[in-house]
Amino acid sequence: MKLLGPIFGGVFNVAVVLLVAPFCEGLLRKLTARIQSRQGPPVWQAYFDLLKLLGKEDIEAGESPFMQRVAVYLSLATVLTIACLVPMGFPAPMNNAGDALLLIYLLTLAGVGTLLAGLAAGSTFSLLGISREMMTMIALEPLFAIAIVVGAIHAGSFRLDTVLHGAVYGGGSAWSGMVMLAVLLLSFQAFVQRVPFDIPEAETEIMEGPLMEYSGPKLALFKWAQMAKLVIYSALFVGLFLPWGNELIFPLGWLVFWAKVFALVLLVTLVAATHARYRIDQAIRYFAGLLAVALVALILASYGF
Amino acid sequence: MFARDKLNLLKAKFSSAILRADLPADNRLYVFVEPRAIKPVCQHLFRDLDARYVISIGADDRPYSGQFLVAHNFAFDRDHLLCSVLTHLPADNPRLDSIAGVVTAANWAEREFRDLVGIEPVGHPYPKRLVLPDGWPDGAHPLRKDFAWNQVPEGFDDEREFAFDEPPEGCMVVPFGPFHPTLDEPAHFRLYVEGEMVRGCEYRGFMVHRGIEKLAESVLTYNEIPMMAERICGICGCVHNVAYAQAVESAATIGVPPRAEYLRTIMLEIERLHSHLLWVGLACHIVGFDTLFMQSWRIREPIMWIAEKISGNRKTYALCLIGGVRHDITPELKAELRSILDKLEAEWTPVVTAVLKDKNLQARTRGVGVADKTACKNTGLVGPVARAAGVDIDCRRDHPYAAYDRVDFDVITADGGDVWSRVVVRAKEVFESIRIIRQCLEKMEAGPMQAVIKDELPVGRLGLSSVEAPRGESHHFVITGENNRPRRWRVRAPTYQNLQGVPAMIKDQQLADMTISLGSIDPCFSCTDRLETVDLRTKAVKVWTPEELVKMVRAKTT
Repeated sequence: MKLLGPIFGGVFNVAVVLLVAPFCEGLLRKLTARIQSRQGPPVWQAYFDLLKLLGKEDIEAGESPFMQRVAVYLSLATVLTIACLVPMGFPAPMNNAGDALLLIYLLTLAGVGTLLAGLAAGSTFSLLGISREMMTMIALEPLFAIAIVVGAIHAGSFRLDTVLHGAVYGGGSAWSGMVMLAVLLLSFQAFVQRVPFDIPEAETEIMEGPLMEYSGPKLALFKWAQMAKLVIYSALFVGLFLPWGNELIFPLGWLVFWAKVFALVLLVTLVAATHARYRIDQAIRYFAGLLAVALVALILASYGF
Repeated sequence: MFARDKLNLLKAKFSSAILRADLPADNRLYVFVEPRAIKPVCQHLFRDLDARYVISIGADDRPYSGQFLVAHNFAFDRDHLLCSVLTHLPADNPRLDSIAGVVTAANWAEREFRDLVGIEPVGHPYPKRLVLPDGWPDGAHPLRKDFAWNQVPEGFDDEREFAFDEPPEGCMVVPFGPFHPTLDEPAHFRLYVEGEMVRGCEYRGFMVHRGIEKLAESVLTYNEIPMMAERICGICGCVHNVAYAQAVESAATIGVPPRAEYLRTIMLEIERLHSHLLWVGLACHIVGFDTLFMQSWRIREPIMWIAEKISGNRKTYALCLIGGVRHDITPELKAELRSILDKLEAEWTPVVTAVLKDKNLQARTRGVGVADKTACKNTGLVGPVARAAGVDIDCRRDHPYAAYDRVDFDVITADGGDVWSRVVVRAKEVFESIRIIRQCLEKMEAGPMQAVIKDELPVGRLGLSSVEAPRGESHHFVITGENNRPRRWRVRAPTYQNLQGVPAMIKDQQLADMTISLGSIDPCFSCTDRLETVDLRTKAVKVWTPEELVKMVRAKTT
């Protein structure tokens, strides 16, 4: 029984993420369309898209078809593993299987999937895409890591259920938590790879970069992983910074959690619809600024603020 | 007056080399010079008299004069004068001093007549193939009169590859095109990229030549050509339609009734409105700002509807015949057009206000793709690209045609020379177009729409016409001919010159800025690629041979 609980919970979370992610995407598309005075596709369109792609012929393409396949599985698997570690309306199912450090590693690994995909394609544009992805990763990943570490310092523990329960606001004055909230709000768009920070894919510049050789089922899985990322990062954000109401009894707590996730999706949509894409150098400069602020927050946290 | 002045200036310096001169009107000047004088005369015009280079034309004149003909066209914008320097070359040895060394803007035009007419520009700084496909046999020149319009030359070599230049040290080659999501038409930029920086590029275009000029010279008639002319471009077709008609009218000195002139002006401005709004949308899409892309296209849509109501088509209006127009604007349409303009103005004003304040968009466009005044002069850049660099030229004011001399409007300029300035110029020009149409609707009087042409058009006359297209000056050159069709018709779309400015614009810039820099000239490859037969090659599931494809295409059309 002791083992069955987390496994069941993990599977449940994975299933929920897989099911809800296309809906979030559909919501995002519909909202974007309304902002743009368009009718827009049905909210369910993302499901149809995935089904259509999954039903297509599986074509081996690019320099290394094997690596191309591995990259997809890695991307999706990483994102879904994170799903097992994140509380989504219920306590994190595999709470005891790992700690916050594992979470940080997994977040980085998700980016590695994209790198592999780009390498496997081996075309100039995908190589440009992964060089951009790599630059973004180096500048961006520390931000989430610092947020988690700040939480861990305040909680005095790397345990997931403690850290992902608003631990960043712990300590005397919650200053470091507030700073990290601002930093992550300002960079959230980049974590979920939407305009203005969809630079590694930038369809109009480098033709989807790392994804350019993908089609059919593999593309479906990659897209699914990207959609899932939006949900996962939103869930992480909610856990780290907006934990209030999650402890309410079912289904209240559960509803509150998803309401917050959808609110984040809405925010992402609004920002994406009102911005032009930045250039990689402009983006890196922006991330570097945020990183400097995040480091200040880390120091604050280590002194108990 | 101005034409006479310029001729006197030329005569003072080159009296012995000038064979004859034609001044059919005060705004046109044709000077025939000896071949040996062509380079100094052009240099004098371009450098000392500060003329703007327009285009060079090569023509096979052997059936008529027994010689080849080359014309270099220049414009004196402030003096409202279009000028052509012509020379005849012997049939057995068509060679001529290249002017591209001193008039850099002539680079493409000279290579083009080298490819198509077989006139050798001696001393050209970059004598590579420009227009003809890679496998085309040497020595077959399709615009020569002894080359039939449907002739397929012997010895097409599928294996022959274009010899690109060596990339600079430490650069990787990024193939931008022939197909790319932001290129609506095929064109190939071979970019030399170091990290994310573009260090140089080579252009290979002209991939969809449709042989339009050749057809006009050999198959079509005077009044059929306008319909073909506007198929040069899907966006600014009416411009070519009007420019061709005006070139023939100027050659044959045919007067156009005032109502027709107003109607031409109105349709040209309707076209500019739709083109500028379309461009703003595309530019925003390129930098990932899809909301403004969608909004500007929504605002644009009623313009398409009114165009359809007037002409029967959203695009491709089939407006002009020689000496007049085919569509009238009824009082009901007039009222509707007015209300559409009011709505457009009301919707566009807040958009422009918002865009001009948008920091995010400026971050992507300021200081990007810069072409300064010197670049404009040297490469002959025109239109919003030139105006954004503070070069105050606009054919509507400088070489007035149709009814533009009877309406009041401002020429919008900016001084940054970058993509941002081009955005500003185009966004504001929309208001000027609205102003022009309103005045035309006000001033247009009842009257005939078509001049009565009783006689055959005179033969062997020269005609020039410049029309300000949304992208810049569209220039047409016509030599009238026998059999109810011109002997030679040369189209120079604005993109032909502006595209030559792109390599300098993108040099030492981020690769991410490449697409918006190219997009900022509002490139129109179909305008540029208007000649020659098609080289079809593709690799689908089944690999088709060129022969099979050609067969397929022919089976469909017959």
